[in-house]
Amino acid sequence: MNHERLIIMNIYIIGAATTKFGELWGISPRRLARQAVTDALKDAEISKDQVEALFVGNMLSGMLGGQEHLGAFFAEELGLSVPAFKIEGACASGGLALHAAVTSVLSGQNKTVAVLGVEKMTDHKPEDVATALMGAGTEGERLAGATFPGLYAMLARAHMDTYNTTEEQMAAVAVKNHFHASLNPNAQFHALLTVDKVMKSACVADPLKLLDCSPISDGAAAVIITSDKKQVTRNKKNIEIAASAVATDTLGLAQRKSLSELAATKRAAGQAYARAGIKPEDADIAEVHDCFTIAEIYAMEDLGFYAKGDAAGAIERGETTLGKTNKLVVNPSGGLKGCGHPVGATGVKQVVELVDQLLGRAGVRQVEGIKIGLAHNVGGSGATAVVHILKI
Amino acid sequence: MISPVKVWRNQKYVARTIGKTGKIVSWTTIRVPPADFGYQAPYPVAVIRLDTGEFITAQVVDYDERQLRISQRVITVVRRTIQSATDDVIPYGIKVKPMEISNKRITNKQ
Repeated sequence: MNHERLIIMNIYIIGAATTKFGELWGISPRRLARQAVTDALKDAEISKDQVEALFVGNMLSGMLGGQEHLGAFFAEELGLSVPAFKIEGACASGGLALHAAVTSVLSGQNKTVAVLGVEKMTDHKPEDVATALMGAGTEGERLAGATFPGLYAMLARAHMDTYNTTEEQMAAVAVKNHFHASLNPNAQFHALLTVDKVMKSACVADPLKLLDCSPISDGAAAVIITSDKKQVTRNKKNIEIAASAVATDTLGLAQRKSLSELAATKRAAGQAYARAGIKPEDADIAEVHDCFTIAEIYAMEDLGFYAKGDAAGAIERGETTLGKTNKLVVNPSGGLKGCGHPVGATGVKQVVELVDQLLGRAGVRQVEGIKIGLAHNVGGSGATAVVHILKI
Repeated sequence: MISPVKVWRNQKYVARTIGKTGKIVSWTTIRVPPADFGYQAPYPVAVIRLDTGEFITAQVVDYDERQLRISQRVITVVRRTIQSATDDVIPYGIKVKPMEISNKRITNKQ
């Protein structure tokens, strides 16, 4: 089967919204979901009665909150009685939910659907969150006592060994993304970092330090997509989903062919570029999956923005920093590192950021003169990768 | 509670994998462990390429700091994986221990 074929999508995002991300102890998952979807519907200028299906991206509601059956759970909260689904793909759950929504519209089953990404993590003890997140790994990884920082630490060491990547270069990713987050009112962190501060933070899994890691967060994000041309004309938000691609790889890190790349990212990106009819260099902004600083370095290379071994130096030189570059700006929202990482919400929030940027309503962090945005969402240590390309 | 059936099924993998040699592909030291592993931290975890061509993830035990390095030769051993409750089965699994100090990096780094 040829996956690299041009698909005429004719699917548009007409509404997008995100809640604040952070330690939101006073706000329940229900309220997070209601706020995100209500704001997205308001942005779309449609009523909830026009929503024909709901796709919920979430990973940990069962393991942490003891609540499953999220499709009906959130449909009830939103006052909907439409088909509703929980889509789970670890930290790629949000991106995967959007992909599932896109396929349901492409099939002709639905015209206008809502996608919600939501996660509540800070109610729970860090060791319980670490254990629950390891549900995304293999039994062998769990028996070895590995954690997600540990798995990405082993990727980091492999990258350092192969390409001479340095810990300071990884720290530069955190510095850049905290700078971008400081300009985003919805971000979890607004404090600026320095390379020195990252280097002196406590070690979590050598060589990754606390400030190399994205935080534990609460938050929700939602988008409304449609194939109904009348809605798009009326709404005047002409954001086209030019490609939606998913690829998978072995669940466990050890079983991969190579540790110096995430092959699922390469495959999903390859399909997305072919389907959208663009090249990596055509992208103006990108929201990439920086669950750890090293992950952004892998992403920049595996998405084809830089040759293998060239991304770390480029990031350190500010080539992807807002206001310092005329080229691709990466993670203007602050990324997972600065904006926060409520795992099921992240993939949807990335797309909300692209929509805000493409519509020119991103405020002080607006990237000027942009036409094409790319969102890259990863599940586990690279077993699932989702790439979306948006055009205006 | 640890499922005794799951432990029993895992024994086939343990029996098949014990006494195999290989080398460290990458490693880390877990300083913030998951629940049930708290009493062991900090501990090293590695991706190992066994000489059979199989790749595994395992804790490194009985090591010297100098032996935590890419290409270090290791051998698989059976060890208890976590401290279980008194009425639980005791779970055993595969870990690796270094075979000798490697003086020369095996990787052909350019």
